[in-house]
Amino acid sequence: MPLDIFPNSLQQVDKINFFNKLLSQIPDLIFQMTVSEDGKVKFPFLSESVINHFELTESEINLDTIEVMKNKIVPEDFQKLLDSIVLSKKNKQDWIFEFRCNLPVKGLRWFRVRATIEEDTNKGAVFYGRVNDNTESRIQAQKLKISEERYQFALEASSEGIWDLDLNTKKVFFSSQSMKMLHFEEKDAVLDIAAWDDRIHPDDREKYEKDILLHLENKTPFYKNLQRVLTADNQYKWVLSRGKIIDRDEDGTPLRLIGTHTDISKQIEKEQELKRTLEIFSEQNKKLLNFAHIVSHNLRSHAGNFKMLLDIIETEEDLEIKEETLKYLRINSNDLSETIENLKELVDIHSDLKPTKEHLNLKDYLKKMLNLLSEEFNKHKVEVKIAIPKDTTVYFNPAYLESILLNFSTNAVKYSHPDKTPIIHYDFYYEDGYKILSIADNGLGIDLEKHGDSLFGMYKTFHRHPNSRGLGLFMSKNQIEAMGGRITVESKVNLGTIFKIYFND
Amino acid sequence: MVDDDKIYHFILKNILNKNDIAIDSSFFENGQDALEILKEEISSNNFPDMILLDINMPIMDGWQFLEEFRKLKSDHNLTIQVYLVTSSNDVVDLQRASSFENEISDYFLKPINEVEICKLFATELE
Repeated sequence: MPLDIFPNSLQQVDKINFFNKLLSQIPDLIFQMTVSEDGKVKFPFLSESVINHFELTESEINLDTIEVMKNKIVPEDFQKLLDSIVLSKKNKQDWIFEFRCNLPVKGLRWFRVRATIEEDTNKGAVFYGRVNDNTESRIQAQKLKISEERYQFALEASSEGIWDLDLNTKKVFFSSQSMKMLHFEEKDAVLDIAAWDDRIHPDDREKYEKDILLHLENKTPFYKNLQRVLTADNQYKWVLSRGKIIDRDEDGTPLRLIGTHTDISKQIEKEQELKRTLEIFSEQNKKLLNFAHIVSHNLRSHAGNFKMLLDIIETEEDLEIKEETLKYLRINSNDLSETIENLKELVDIHSDLKPTKEHLNLKDYLKKMLNLLSEEFNKHKVEVKIAIPKDTTVYFNPAYLESILLNFSTNAVKYSHPDKTPIIHYDFYYEDGYKILSIADNGLGIDLEKHGDSLFGMYKTFHRHPNSRGLGLFMSKNQIEAMGGRITVESKVNLGTIFKIYFND
Repeated sequence: MVDDDKIYHFILKNILNKNDIAIDSSFFENGQDALEILKEEISSNNFPDMILLDINMPIMDGWQFLEEFRKLKSDHNLTIQVYLVTSSNDVVDLQRASSFENEISDYFLKPINEVEICKLFATELE
């Protein structure tokens, strides 16, 4: 391949023609410039494209080159241009310079000149070079600069992190905010995708992978996933990750996925706090409503009884009947007092007075209670079986413990099966770290399918035994819950009932 | 009358006496006792015309009684009128009562109104 070698056949004239043809193909302005020892600048050669580049008129073509340049070039650039020529000559360096021209049609344009220097024999210099219009690339560069500045600002100012995943290399760019979110050094980083994925909470991993896949398969317009991510100091943070594929190859295979990370831990915390508060309120509200029900129900039936009994006393003349009515008045009055006493106790449990807790010996308390009930138990020939280790203690309020033991024990006797000898088992054991006291009887049992929901409700006193305190189960449940514990029930009609008390200590 | 509150037994007896309503009456404190006697009475073909039934009772409550009664009623083509007499005006109970519309003739709220009860007996006696 012959480079820069003329065909041998070419004569001098042909050579000039040959060059002219080649020159005419070059869009750039080609020039030769001489600078004399005293600094005088001349342009011995300028390619014809100078006319187009600088929109020269016929008259301008005939003027002195420097004169024309002075007219065309922006004044503050013209002097600098001359200075740069002097500097290049002095340092014997290539002349590279950018300047602006105000042109009649094209307006303000940027030009770039680049020329190599040769010294001449008279201590002057000769430059061979070209000038090209680089306005478009200047504008592009400027635009790019502005957009990069904007992006950089957005990255820094936003509380959101930015990530940029290359699906081929599986490398991810994480902005400083993403890194900061996880309590790492606040600096942009390019990491393996696993660096983030391995920190996602195991329970959130499956959904995360599914959400990404759905978007990669073009089934969702955006990728969006809420995930718990482990920070550098081993705490989980709630991060909302969102993204979108921004580049695919010709086959539609995704190449690049860009997205954001938003730390929404505070929002989630607030949400959960709100939910808890709502639950407490709604629970309290339910209790209040229940309470209003039982008060109205109990008081109404007693008040109704008073009215009817008094009506009889007023209208009846038979003394014997009057006296019997008085007897029932007394019963009703006693019942009402007991109900009010129960309600008062109930209010006490719910009032702000924190009942004190003590370490109590469970077996001692049970024995004490059984002593109190010995007469009643003997009457019903109750068989008691206790399987509680001697030193077992529970952290509980003494009065509550007495009341609970009394309540469940008397219930077991009240609802004993008429055809069976009542047997009560008191067992103590541990389950899932809880101390549990189970009280099992072989009595009538409760149909839990029918009564399960209302079993511990204070309003439903479905077992209104003549001596029964209708509020018993409800009270016991409240006392246990006030101590931080809970209670469960298992029962089969005609077989018996097991109550399990879970202590919270 | 099936009611665990003995005051109601007394009050009803008193109303019957005072108003010279001459009927045979028997009183039970829970559904089970009432059901046992009712079954005996049905087998001897000498059963009551009406039952006043409370809801909240021990051992067998009003609802359980009504379920047993439903079977007896269809098996024996009984014409016994059952009236609920209860202090519960709870929506849940009212709804539940409507599921026994073939068994229950009416729903009375305690305290019972003497005039209403007398009217009821008068209608039944006719």
